Amino acid sequence: MASSSSSNSANYDVPWVEKYRPSKVVDIVGNEDAVSRLQVIARDGNMPNLILSGPPGTGKTTSILALAHELLGPNYREAVLELNASDDRGIDVVRNKIKMFAQKKVTLPPGRHKVVILDEADSMTSGAQQALRRTMEIYSNSTRFALACNTSAKIIEPIQSRCAIVRFSRLSDQEILGRLMVVVQAEKVPYVPEGLEAIIFTADGDMRQGLNNLQATYSGFQFVNQANVFKVCDQPHPLHVKNMVRNVIEGNFDEACSGLKQLYDLGYSPTDIITTLFRIIKSYDMAEYLKLEFMKETGFAHMRICDGVGSYLQMCGLLAKFSLVRETAKAP
Amino acid sequence: MPKRNSVIVLSSDEEQETPKTRSYSSTRTKPKPKASSSGSRGRKKARVSSSGPRLSKLHEINLFDDDFNEVFTRSKVFAGTQQNIAEELWVDKYKPHSLEELSVHKKKVEEVKTWFEERLKPSKGVYRNNVLVVSGQAGVGKSAAIHVIASHLGAMVCGWNTPTPVIWQEHLYNSGTATKYTSKLDEFVSFVERIRKYGLIPTSFTGESKPSVIFLIDDLPMMHSKAALGRLKDCLHLLVHTTQIPTAILVTDYGNTDSADYNARSVEELKISLERSGACKVTFNPITVNSIKKFFCVNPDQVHSLSLPTRTPHALKEKSNKPVELDDGSPLYFGRDETVSLFHALGKFLHNKRETGVAAEYDQNGFLMQEIFSRLPLKMDVPEKILSQSHVQPGPVADFLHENVLDFLNDEAVEDAWILSSYLGDSDILLAKLRGMLSSHNEAESILQSAAASIAVRGVLFGNSQPISSRWHAIRRPKLWQVQKESSYHKNEMFRQRIPACNQLSSYHMSVMATEYMPMFKLLGNRVGSAYNELDQESAQNLDMEDFDTDKMSLDGEAMEISDDDIEDW
Repeated sequence: MASSSSSNSANYDVPWVEKYRPSKVVDIVGNEDAVSRLQVIARDGNMPNLILSGPPGTGKTTSILALAHELLGPNYREAVLELNASDDRGIDVVRNKIKMFAQKKVTLPPGRHKVVILDEADSMTSGAQQALRRTMEIYSNSTRFALACNTSAKIIEPIQSRCAIVRFSRLSDQEILGRLMVVVQAEKVPYVPEGLEAIIFTADGDMRQGLNNLQATYSGFQFVNQANVFKVCDQPHPLHVKNMVRNVIEGNFDEACSGLKQLYDLGYSPTDIITTLFRIIKSYDMAEYLKLEFMKETGFAHMRICDGVGSYLQMCGLLAKFSLVRETAKAP
Repeated sequence: MPKRNSVIVLSSDEEQETPKTRSYSSTRTKPKPKASSSGSRGRKKARVSSSGPRLSKLHEINLFDDDFNEVFTRSKVFAGTQQNIAEELWVDKYKPHSLEELSVHKKKVEEVKTWFEERLKPSKGVYRNNVLVVSGQAGVGKSAAIHVIASHLGAMVCGWNTPTPVIWQEHLYNSGTATKYTSKLDEFVSFVERIRKYGLIPTSFTGESKPSVIFLIDDLPMMHSKAALGRLKDCLHLLVHTTQIPTAILVTDYGNTDSADYNARSVEELKISLERSGACKVTFNPITVNSIKKFFCVNPDQVHSLSLPTRTPHALKEKSNKPVELDDGSPLYFGRDETVSLFHALGKFLHNKRETGVAAEYDQNGFLMQEIFSRLPLKMDVPEKILSQSHVQPGPVADFLHENVLDFLNDEAVEDAWILSSYLGDSDILLAKLRGMLSSHNEAESILQSAAASIAVRGVLFGNSQPISSRWHAIRRPKLWQVQKESSYHKNEMFRQRIPACNQLSSYHMSVMATEYMPMFKLLGNRVGSAYNELDQESAQNLDMEDFDTDKMSLDGEAMEISDDDIEDW
């Protein structure tokens, strides 16, 4: 351990998420359509105003930073203004800092523009967004805007109308696996395939989450296998939950209940259990009617838990409802 | 003081730039009213007239374009713009230059034009009103139309351009010195005041024969509170009554958003109050398929780069509100929010295409289903995957499905209809937990949401047991949506009221508010209450029905209050 840490002592403190953040648009994993379009922009310049929207950990910020680096190269420091939710972005800042930046003169090669990056733009107040509207228009021949957000519906319509929207969706398991393998090899992490599978399950299409879990597991246990991953991430073991569902479908209600009891005794809260349960049901291969009804019951149970009724009894009731559904659906 | 420094740098920049623009303007005309190269001249003048230290008093009147009066020919324009082809956005580059090029409906253009013509004609009788409110959705060409018409009539467009303000910290830093703190609203109000009293200041264009002037208010200040809104209303009301210059006020419609956003609503209110005080109103319709098509064909060299070619056909489909074909390949990544892909997904769910053949092979691990509960395998991806690809919120999906699904059912299939409705109802209960909430970043909420969406979609797929062979259907916009929007808006309004009204009695229930407090206010003819006259009845009904989640509402309202509260108070 000591030797491995000294070998890369320079980067020891850097989270892998940052260390392996792609610096070129080409390297971004997943969302081929979106990335290929950004690549064209990176090559030809003349970036339009952009809105990048999608769930967390899918590469929005990474791609916009990479794009800005590729477009502006050495001028990056002076020609890019990056603001995220941690910066003060009230209406004052929009009217001052951004406007001042837009008016600033920077010498750039033809076809390149100053870039204002507004990360997490959906947390900007609509007042600030309104103030942005005209600024975007007036300085469009010298400054372009790139907004990253989780839900594009929270960007006001006049701004949407001024931007091209690039959408990112959750990454597929293969895409995450591919990137994990790169990191695993670069860091020489010992692993078993099931361990990576577990990491992918916990990541749920979120690359950042996946890399963080990988690093946490590695630095905690020095070995990536299923048990370690779930210890670190502290989620109910999906296999366990899956067995529960299988038992219900096969009609072994007692065994399903004892499985639930085990999980509950391990100290998982009902919310944890039901979150995993919902994801298992979503991917479990079962008849359409069963899946629909199971989802419905899970949804309602989740709602009750949110209302504060998170007892063990409630969870058992959920399993009982599953069994009832199964009985109704079963051919005589 | 960083600010002052940068301003100085800036003005020197413009000095460099100015000769260039001048030389341009001698060789070619500049048809684009808002391109900043032409704007810079006007801005510079304004800046010269109000020198350095009086920064906060910079009410700039931009003479957008001095060259409007000259005649231009298209070919020249193209040759001229060719050189900076890479640097401009197409939005600017292909700005309409003549009346024919406008994508707005001819009649509307004509209407606006004659309105201005009448008012610009010298020595005509005095008109009662000189204000025109132009409204329409974002991007229909409101400001473009005004500029083009102005250039057609040979008039000059002057506008209110927001000055760079003094920020609060800065004000604190040099409080006591000459800089006075003013909010944007203050500045706007005093600007309007001046326009009203003195008209435009003629010093900025001496020498030439005085051209006719159209005054354009594009960027209305934001209002965060009732008081600010009231002030703006009064100010505009005065403007409507007294101004001598033909004035156009542009207002963006938010008709389609499902957000009960306060600002959107207050703009709406503002529009109504303007109309009441006698301003003319013209509404531009959304752009039609044909006009987009025509516009894109007029500009032949638009084919060479990124997003537009793929976007056009989809955009056309979206606007025409038709169901999207199912065999339509890759998901779309560029486009207006949640429209095209939404219809794409809806089409899949509603048409409900399934494999033909026996269902027997579907049951695994020996579990046999009853006949009525078994369905043929789906001829599409997993519904959850389609949902995630289409990037839509669960709320709209459920509403759209609810509105449209009955069209896709067999006429005899009553049982199907009740199965469907029960599932949609279930998903609505789950969604009701989330309605009106501002943020959904929480893990727990996201489960609820995806469960709700899955139930709605899978319920529709499952319930429609004998899908009719696909034929053409129009997909309608959900009415439920509208109702929801209204109700959540009114509830938020009520909550806003509640906070100032009863600080000490914060345990007031919403229904108490609606049934006792508000009517009392009305009765007393209180100023605050009077603004709510038209809302009262509706909201009272809403609240009676939705009593059960008022407690949650109050939490939401609080969140909203906080998020709306800005550092700077208007």
